[in-house]
Amino acid sequence: MTNHDHERAVDLIMQRGTEDVVAADLRWLESHLEDCADCAQFASDFDNAGRLLRATAITATPTLVAATQARVRARAMYLAEQRSRMVLIAISFCLGAMSSAVSAFLWWRFGSWVAERFGWSAAIVQPGIMLALLLPALVIAGLMLAFPHPVLEERFITAWARERGGDNQ
Amino acid sequence: MIATAFIASSLVPMETEEAQIARGLRRRDPELLDALIEQYQHRLLRYLVHLTGNRAVAEDLFQEVWIRVLEKGHLYDGRNRFVTWLMSIGHNVAIDYLRKRCPESLDEMRDPDEGAPFEPPAHGPSPYDEAAAHQQQERFNEALQQVPALFREVLVLRFQEQMKLEEIAKLIHIPLATVKTRIYRGVQALRPLIKGAAQ
Repeated sequence: MTNHDHERAVDLIMQRGTEDVVAADLRWLESHLEDCADCAQFASDFDNAGRLLRATAITATPTLVAATQARVRARAMYLAEQRSRMVLIAISFCLGAMSSAVSAFLWWRFGSWVAERFGWSAAIVQPGIMLALLLPALVIAGLMLAFPHPVLEERFITAWARERGGDNQ
Repeated sequence: MIATAFIASSLVPMETEEAQIARGLRRRDPELLDALIEQYQHRLLRYLVHLTGNRAVAEDLFQEVWIRVLEKGHLYDGRNRFVTWLMSIGHNVAIDYLRKRCPESLDEMRDPDEGAPFEPPAHGPSPYDEAAAHQQQERFNEALQQVPALFREVLVLRFQEQMKLEEIAKLIHIPLATVKTRIYRGVQALRPLIKGAAQ
């Protein structure tokens, strides 16, 4: 009897009952168990361990199930709400982008009209108008970069880290 | 079987049960989730209790697992059995918890005051037999907690969940050979207990 035989026997003992074991393998196992006391002992321990484990009665209480269902439903509602909010944000963003594009085009045409009306150079007036439009946003962005809000930034970083942590799980 | 009935009554009949569950989870269907919680309540809790060795903790994790099923439901593709996927989430949630509580060893996570975390079995023809069975069950449960969690987990999956060895390997993300080794060692660790039960 080789080590390979014992290993094969142990594998078959573990597989029988839950996996499809060929009849020939089962016959081989039976004959091996008759000859090998160690493997026969393991087979007996294995079956008894299974019997004992299956006899342990652990059941979920109706309270736990109901509480879980309620929690899952509440979370599902929250996620659905968040999702619909995201859709609204996306739609608002698209509409905002479109209106900005239309506005920019119209302001550009306005610059052309002003330049023509007063005999000024369109190459200066048009970019000037665009710059005037963008200036408030640029100033605000510059100020925010120069004086970052520590609390806001910390919150943002914490939220981002938590999100990353959740993704990694 | 509740989930099966729910699925059979509401979805396309040609799809497999797993595919239907996957579709429902992608939609975050609350009815389906309710049915799944009902169907797998005992199996999941039993697994978590055995893994953590503490019923109160297992109940908390039970809820966490279902929240994660809701949130990560889109990741279930329906190609494997749902129960395997569910248990793998249970495994991850429990391991995350155990790591946070005691990073040095998963086996240390045992509350010494929790002597008998399991509910007694409801069988026995007479009060005497019932009491004797209860005592034996308690002894077994206590002794089972002495078996390292790594072994306990595979034993529960193999014997209580009747999972194939390959399924267990996939669920715990370990090689098949390791699953076999852990089952072998788990059975060896249970041997004194088995002998005690036989006497």
